[in-house]
Parts: sequence; structure tokens; C-alpha cells
Amino acid sequence: MKKWIEKYVSYPIGIIVALSLFSVILLVMGFDPASSLVTLIYGSLGNIYRVSETFVKTVPLLLCALAFLVAFKARFLNFGAEGQLYIGALCAYFVASQMGDLPGVLSIPLVALVSFISGVAWLVIPLILKLKLEINEIFPTIVMNFIAILLTNWLLTGPIKDPKAQNPQTRAIPPATWLPIMIPRTRLHAGLIFAFFLAFLIYLVLQKTVLGYEIRAVGLGPKAAKHAGINVPRTIVIVGILSSGLAGLAGGIELLGANHILISGFSPGFGYQGIAIAALGKFDPVGALLASIFYSILLVGGESMQRATRPVPIHLIYILQAVLVLSVLIVQEFIIMVRRRK
Amino acid sequence: MIDVLTLILSGGVTLTVPILLSALGEIYDERAGVLNLGLEGIMSLSAFVALYVCSITRSYLMGTLAAIAIGGLIALIHGFACITIGVNQIISGLLMVMLADGIANFSYVTVIRTSGVPRAPVIKPIKIPGLSQIPVLGQVLFEQNIFVYLAFLLAIVFGFILYRTTWGLKIRGVGENPEACDAAGINVNRIRYLCVILSGVMAGFSGAFLSLGYLGLYGRGMAQGRGWIAIIVVILSRWSPYRAILGSLIFGMGYSIAASLIGLNIGVSSYLLQMIPYVLALIAISLMFKRMKGPSALTIPYRRK
Repeated sequence: MKKWIEKYVSYPIGIIVALSLFSVILLVMGFDPASSLVTLIYGSLGNIYRVSETFVKTVPLLLCALAFLVAFKARFLNFGAEGQLYIGALCAYFVASQMGDLPGVLSIPLVALVSFISGVAWLVIPLILKLKLEINEIFPTIVMNFIAILLTNWLLTGPIKDPKAQNPQTRAIPPATWLPIMIPRTRLHAGLIFAFFLAFLIYLVLQKTVLGYEIRAVGLGPKAAKHAGINVPRTIVIVGILSSGLAGLAGGIELLGANHILISGFSPGFGYQGIAIAALGKFDPVGALLASIFYSILLVGGESMQRATRPVPIHLIYILQAVLVLSVLIVQEFIIMVRRRK
Repeated sequence: MIDVLTLILSGGVTLTVPILLSALGEIYDERAGVLNLGLEGIMSLSAFVALYVCSITRSYLMGTLAAIAIGGLIALIHGFACITIGVNQIISGLLMVMLADGIANFSYVTVIRTSGVPRAPVIKPIKIPGLSQIPVLGQVLFEQNIFVYLAFLLAIVFGFILYRTTWGLKIRGVGENPEACDAAGINVNRIRYLCVILSGVMAGFSGAFLSLGYLGLYGRGMAQGRGWIAIIVVILSRWSPYRAILGSLIFGMGYSIAASLIGLNIGVSSYLLQMIPYVLALIAISLMFKRMKGPSALTIPYRRK
């Protein structure tokens, strides 16, 4: 009983802290926090369409969280999911737009594969720097994010821009490449099932396979892992491929399933949010799944607060998300600290 | 041609400042054993705060002080999480970017809705008598605003304190061997707290420069990667405030070349030109990061055994 409380108490505390901040900020701004909360919850869970929107957002968030955590298990810090997601979506667009009437059964797996591979391609430089020169991967991956976003914006304002559109965006990809819709008259696409399946797959790999054991061993200490006969660079390459590929796939699926066009700023920082979600879910695939659903409830609810007659900027939600994750981590570490003192 | 060159060089010196200021604080912070990845967000937030406070009070000093205060405050939260509690410094740092960016954009949108776009005229440059008359060099080095002179002066002061004073010795000590420092009666965590706050204060100062000393307005993602670049500069300069001047200059020039080419309208997309500093960063990382070892206790919280 006690152990159970220690394990999960950080979550209600984090939510209480975030809710208190939510109320204080809104009160100061002259809003009624209770009715704003109703707007938030109704906006993300109020009816079938709202729930479906929440799950549409869950897909890229979950994939990016999985991308971060699978590499984090081996202490490889892929901060580049945001850029890999952009490149994944970009390359997916190039291929998908050439597919014409080819049936989805053929074109969709091909486009998904391309987005996975292009995500991996965007990690090649940081990965080589890591393996050959022992350069910490954090900064190269972040720099690559900026380059990816600028590259996408350049293409969207020139070479691949839809000439009829005002905004920097492309034409829609052929309908045959769109992911099947699971509930009629919503945007809920089959990518959700695929993302859940990948979460389960990553869970199996980490918990039940030799590779998972090797990944965890490298994470606990590369030197000890090497002495135990584990090929450390090989393990790093594998987690790097899995991680960047998942992030690229997140971009590809967002294009095939949710948007059908490539549009400037289509990711509100999914790649970075994935890192926070992975931390919130204790770097565990099941935890990441639950955390990504919770995160998208906040995001979609926040969007409806932004659309209300007296709009509240969506940035309030970003503040709350950061505060929530930080409070949860603080409580978790605090419990560990107290236990150690005993 | 000489005009363009002068423009690029002079802009380069100006754009060295935000990177240098942030890097200086981060050097102290990392020397003391704490990594603060939050600079990017702190710079954007403090840029907004400086602009807003300045637009209301009509005082550059008040704007800058407010920016410094908010930077220190965000860093204090990071310090509490990492030093006292022991949260993973990398994750906490990233959360600080999200938190600070969130507050900045939330406040910006709210302010626009209630009282319009905040603006403040950019601080005027101070011409150093005599020296500013030198061709090219005069305009590049001696016709800058107060922030610029202060930044280079601070780099030297920071270097002097770090290498030549007991304070500096203590800071380096708690980052290399906290156990020994504790045994010698030094309060390890107090020094770390001071250094974390300093990193926020300097990033705040840097943000104030961006809005008050350079642009005169606020835009989303105002820091434009400079916070991350500053941390790269810290590593490139091997945690030395003196070498950080050179490291920051390289990237300042990179940003300036990009800005000047965009301004000259040479027919290349501004998105491509904006890549210049990042490509430069990638090259610099590849050439110079090889096996650079930071302070031994970097990112490890100190606990008495």
C-alpha cells in the first residue's frame, strides 16, 4: 500500500499544482477559472468529435515520446525529434505527392517507410559525431532542428508552395494516400492504432528481448556494458535508428493522417513536447502512452479556450504543461531523497 | 564593398553580445557543476519583459533590471529542482525553455490584446571620441551601444574573477571536487545556487539587449537559437570567459552575415540565409568538440555521504 502511494502520489500533486496555477493566472486576468476548466474539458472530451481530435493529437506526441525514451534508455539523448519530424513529413510529402491513384495499401506503407528513413537520415551527422569523435549528441541534434525547420519553410515559400494558397503550404496529397478514418465524420485516423501498436512493440523490445537488455545495460553504464560483452556502439546505432525513425514517422503520419498538406509550423513543438511526455511517463512506453493522452487533452482543450468568445492564449497550456512535469519530477525525486535518508 | 564589409563587421560585434552575455553566465554555472539548458527560453522571456517594462516606465534601466530579475527567477526554479531536489538537469533545463517561452508568448499575446504592441526605441550608440573616427574599425568597435561595451568588459571581469580570486577558486572547486570543498568548509550548494542564478541573470541581461539594444520589439522565438549557441560557445571556449569572447565573435559574425545578406536582398530566400549560423555551429562542433571534458561534477547533484 505504502509503496503504491509513493509510486503514484507525484501525479495528483502535479495536477493540483498545475490547476492552482491555472486558477491564479485566470483570476488575475479576470476570467472565471471554473468555467475555463469546463471549456477545457468539454473542448477535449465533450463529444465524440472532441475526443477524436484529442486522439488525433495523441499520435505525434506519443511517437515523439517513444522516440525520446527508447534512446534515453541507453542514455542517448536525441533532442532532434522536432527536426526529424519535419524532415519525415517533408520527404513523405515528396513521395506521397507522386503516388497518383496507386492504391493506399501500396502507397501508404511506402510513404511511411520513407518518413522513417528520412528521420534516420537527419540523425546521421550527430550519430557519426557521437561515435567517431565522442561528441555529445544534444547540441548537434538541436542545431539540426533549426536547419530542418528553416529548410521546410524555404521549400514551403518557394519550390513546393501551392500557388493558389495564401499561406506557405503545399497542395493536398492524393486522397488514395490518406490514412483510413476510423470514426465517420471525424479526423480520427488509423495512425492511432499504429502508434499504440508501436508503443506496445517498444515495450516488448525493452522488456522482453536481448536487445532491450543491452539497451538498458548501456544506459546504466557504457563501461560496465562493454565489459559484459555488449557492443556499445552497435547498441547506440540501433537506438539512434529507432529513435529518429519514430520521430520521422511521426511527421509522415501527421501528413498522411491528420493534415494531408504540408503547412508551415504544422508542429507546435511535438518533438520537444515528446521529451517532456517521456519524462512524465517515467521513460516507460505505457507511461508515455497515458502521458501523451493527458498532454493532448490539455492541448486540444487549450485550443478551444483560445477559440472562446473571450479567448485565453494557448500558451497558458504550455506553461501548465511545463509546471506539471516539473512538479511531478520534483515530487518523485523528493521521495527518493527522503527514502535514502532513512 | 567596404560599406558592406563595415556593416557586416559592425553588426557582427553587436550580435556577439547576446551570445557572449549568456555564455559568460553559463560558464560560471557549469564551472560550479550545474548545466542550465534553459537559456534559449530565458532570453526570449527577458527580451519581452525588458521591452514591456521599458515601454511603460520609459526607462532602459528599469527594463533591463526587470529582465535580469525574471531571468534570475527562472534560473532559481531550475536551481531548486536540480541542486536541492536532484531532478535531471537536462530535462529540467528543457522544461525551463518551455516554461519561459510559454510565459513570454502568453504575456505578449495578452499585452497586445489589452494595450497594443509594446515598443521601445533602440538604445542609441555611443561614439567614443577620437577612436570612432578611425576608418572601418572606428565604426565597428567604437560606435556601439552601452550593452556592447559592457559585455566585453564583463567578459574580462568574469575571467579575472574566475582565475584570480578566491571566489573563482571556490566556483571551480565545487564543480571539480565538491567533496573536498565541503570538507574544507565551503557551502557547495550555496555557491551552486549563486552560479545558477547568475546564469539566469546574464541570460536576462542578454535578452534585454536583444529587445532594447538591438531590435526594439519582441517576436516569437526571439532568441533564434542564440541560447543554444551560447552553450555551444561555452564548450568551444573550454569554459574560459576569455576564449568565450572569440567563440561568441565567430557566431556573432555568422548571424551578422545572415542578417546583412537578408537586408541586401540578394535574391536568395531568407530562410536559407538564416541557416548560416547553424551550419557554422555544426562545423564548429565537428572540428572542435573532440573529447572536450567539462568540469568533473557537471550535472551531478551534490549529496553528503
